[in-house]
Amino acid sequence: MENLTFEATKYTPEINLDAKGVLSLVGKSYPENTFEFYAPMMKWLEEYFEGNAAGTTTINMEITYFNSSSSKLFFDFFDLLEENCENHTIVVNWIYDAENESAEEAGEDFIEDFESLKIKLVEK
Amino acid sequence: MTVHENKLVQEIETLQEEFSKTTEKLIKDVKRQDKIMARSDKRQQQEYDELQRKFAEVEALQREIEDTQKEVVFTMGAIGESRSKETGNHVKRVAEYSKILALHYGLDTKESEMLKQASPMHDIGKVAIPDAVLNKPGRFDEHERKIMDTHAGLGYEMLNVSDRPLLKMAAIVAYEHHEKWNGTGYPNQTKGEEIHIYGRITALADVFDALGSDRVYKKAWSDEKIFKMFKEERGEHFDPKLIDIFFDNIDEFLTVRDSLMDTTE
Repeated sequence: MENLTFEATKYTPEINLDAKGVLSLVGKSYPENTFEFYAPMMKWLEEYFEGNAAGTTTINMEITYFNSSSSKLFFDFFDLLEENCENHTIVVNWIYDAENESAEEAGEDFIEDFESLKIKLVEK
Repeated sequence: MTVHENKLVQEIETLQEEFSKTTEKLIKDVKRQDKIMARSDKRQQQEYDELQRKFAEVEALQREIEDTQKEVVFTMGAIGESRSKETGNHVKRVAEYSKILALHYGLDTKESEMLKQASPMHDIGKVAIPDAVLNKPGRFDEHERKIMDTHAGLGYEMLNVSDRPLLKMAAIVAYEHHEKWNGTGYPNQTKGEEIHIYGRITALADVFDALGSDRVYKKAWSDEKIFKMFKEERGEHFDPKLIDIFFDNIDEFLTVRDSLMDTTE
């Protein structure tokens, strides 16, 4: 399976989807067409779990700023992870700056909502 | 008796289960949406608060910059003034007269306000005139007059190195405030509307104030004498349109003169 990479833009984060099992999203996320933007990533992820997913999949998310549709998208993203966490080992690192209160709160929300998913809050 | 198992019941039970699952999912989704909205509202509030704080900060800085600029400009004008034989509130009055003329001439408020700030720098070139010439009592000879007249070009060179619009404007004022409508002024003998409006305006404002003020070497002219001279110089020394504006709005000029009178030392 091919890796998928998106360069960061003013409104979107840098995305690296490595089929060896390390996925990362770093930057800001407030595009106008959030779901359209993330569609290729979601598609990639579905195919990844259907195919030869790595033994352990680590997801590093360091999103410093995001709009509400990105927030919704992340819930969908975690839904997809949760659906696969029985058959795969998945670790999510939600990385945030100590001063970034909204990023921290979002991380806490995800933990609360996805009980079976292993989400770690990593303060920078 | 055995009751026939109704297939319909079975189907309804399956549906019920499906419905229950879907409902659960929907409830979960609605809760999520609510949470997202609440978080988003909170964040928006913080962001807007922050934005307003920043705006206030920028506005304060802007005011600070503008005030500093005004002060620097007036100080520069005062330096030019101290090197010339003008005294007291001369530059302030020239500033106000220039603004009145600019507004009536049809420049917009912003440009007129800028001219008010730029016009006090018209004599800044005099800082580069040697003391021996500048402070010479009595009349200049031809050579000294020539040196004195370089203050226009010198002022232009000093100010025109700046990219700031205000200083660019001041450069034009310094350069052209001794040009005359009929082309007999200096340094370039520029004529009519080829003289920039900033130059034409400041020329009139400067002369009006200089004639009406007492100097160590002369008494102030009477208004009558000034007005007579202005009428004679309409279309000669001065832009006729500006002279008309001057006479049409004479009260405004006299009000400024009264409010910025020099105090006797």
